[in-house]
Amino acid sequence: MTSALETAGLTHRYGRRTALSDCTFDVPAGRVVGLVGPNGAGKSTLLQLACGLLAPTAGEIRVLGARPASGSPRVGFVAQDTPVYAGLTVAEHLRMGAHLNPSWDSGLAERRVSQVGLDRAQKAGKLSGGQRAQLALTVAAAKRPDLLLLDEPVAALDPLARRAFLQGLMEFTAEQGVSVIMSSHLVADLERVCDYLIVLCESRVRVAGDVEELIATHHRLVGPRRDPADLGGGRAVVEESHTDVQSTLIVRSSAPIDDPSWQVDRLDLEDIVLAYMSEAAAGRLRVLEGQR
Amino acid sequence: MIWLTWRQSRTQALSGAAIVLLILAGVALTWPGLTELARTSGFTACQADCQDVADSFLAQAGDTAAAAVYWAGIAAMYLLPALVGLFWGAPMVARELETGTYRMVWSQTVSRRRWLLVKLAAGAGAVALLAGLTSLAMTLWAEPIDQAYGNRIGPIVFAARGLVPVGYAVFAFVLGVTLGMLLRRTVVAMAVTLLVVALAQVASPLLVRPALAQPETSTTAADFDRLQGLGIGGNDAHVELEPSVTGAWILSNRVIDTTGDTFKGPVDPAECGPESKQGMGACKEWLATQNLRQEQVYVPQERFWALQWREFGILLALTAGLSWFCLWWIRRRLA
Repeated sequence: MTSALETAGLTHRYGRRTALSDCTFDVPAGRVVGLVGPNGAGKSTLLQLACGLLAPTAGEIRVLGARPASGSPRVGFVAQDTPVYAGLTVAEHLRMGAHLNPSWDSGLAERRVSQVGLDRAQKAGKLSGGQRAQLALTVAAAKRPDLLLLDEPVAALDPLARRAFLQGLMEFTAEQGVSVIMSSHLVADLERVCDYLIVLCESRVRVAGDVEELIATHHRLVGPRRDPADLGGGRAVVEESHTDVQSTLIVRSSAPIDDPSWQVDRLDLEDIVLAYMSEAAAGRLRVLEGQR
Repeated sequence: MIWLTWRQSRTQALSGAAIVLLILAGVALTWPGLTELARTSGFTACQADCQDVADSFLAQAGDTAAAAVYWAGIAAMYLLPALVGLFWGAPMVARELETGTYRMVWSQTVSRRRWLLVKLAAGAGAVALLAGLTSLAMTLWAEPIDQAYGNRIGPIVFAARGLVPVGYAVFAFVLGVTLGMLLRRTVVAMAVTLLVVALAQVASPLLVRPALAQPETSTTAADFDRLQGLGIGGNDAHVELEPSVTGAWILSNRVIDTTGDTFKGPVDPAECGPESKQGMGACKEWLATQNLRQEQVYVPQERFWALQWREFGILLALTAGLSWFCLWWIRRRLA
């Protein structure tokens, strides 16, 4: 089976600013992928590269086995801030979708519009943020893509609209068996819907993998102070903090930790993501201190 | 794509059509009256020495509604390109970039290039149709008036007749699209489009058209019976003769001396000027003895269609160049 998204050394620069540098990862098809990272980490850039709105500065990107190009029938995209045509009504958006997509599923579109309670005669400019996001998702979904890319679709929504949107998304993905890559800067948004996670920080991919596997292989170790290098092979330290007598480590390890001097705790997804993010931030501090 | 293009441009298209219909209605209503007036004033049947008949025809026509239609037609042909570039071309891509909707439409199953191609072709086609209809109606309707004025090839009327208005309208439209795409801000693109279109409309008769027209030069013995202006101050004199060519676009008309330079005096103060007691007649006689000639540089009215095609061709080439650039840019550079 081909990958949904595959990159090798993918780099994108806006002028002199690097938005994405040397990203290499492989996302299997048929998954709901969460792309998480702080604001400005390169999430939008990665998604826009994947749908062909941007071209990479260097490196390779393949979407569903092919080079991305805008106008592909196999990829649906809901852009950041869920842009819609303010002057067009809901019904006209559906009509546009039907005219522009040979694969348009008007049954699906009509059903979804009724389900989320959109007024067909309403101008899209008058819709609330949540309704706008629902409309944008409907247009992208009714195209019946094999891969759906969503760029912070719920960032601007209130908690209720957020839940309704994610609900709709889950129903749709369960029904159609479509691959989804969805970005957010909040793990909580992704935790409920995603089974695969990519953590992007400071233009680099920190970790990518199956959610269950991530949870199974990440541990918090608390024990007497010692050098993390003594841990042994097959274990990577994600984050470390030390007091005079005690060390707290977050490690990734496929093998169980059997050293009795460590107290081993399980981590939830949010802890893992935060560990990678704060490590990235600490790395930046270290670089700054090194330059001094 | 065609439906979406129509849906997004229908306000502009219908407003444009309304303006054009208004002018066409004015043309249709005044046409019989104007034809009748040309006939009754004797202008239609006139074969030679028609200046007096023409003047009386123009004077009578000036009192009818046809005068309003005439000026409205010229104004429309000059304003149409600016309006089209401003309200139709400039927002077409700029608004999509500004509001982010390009990210929605480009993720439908339609390539960017096709998206732009349909928008450009449909827009330019509609603009050409509107401008073409108006220009055709005005050119045919105003034929007797233009003939009577003898100024169809003149700098103002020329750009309001025939093919040239179509060229300007289409050019302004594509220029607006291009600037909108490069500047990415609707209001800025509108302002710059207006500026460039206005500049093109002013620069064309001043700089480009004379070069395209290959004007002719005629040098004849100066006939001071047709003296139009005479200014004398001290040793300097300024002499102006009425042009002898008719119906032409006169680029320069001057009185030259035997060396070919513009005659600037000096004049004999006893014959000409404020101290002379002998009046205008003596001055003319004196000037006639000075071996002066009248040199006129002009574009004869027979060149009208040749010049129309040339200017139209240049505008069309510019339009094609800009369109090609847009289609290249949207694929290669625009994100």
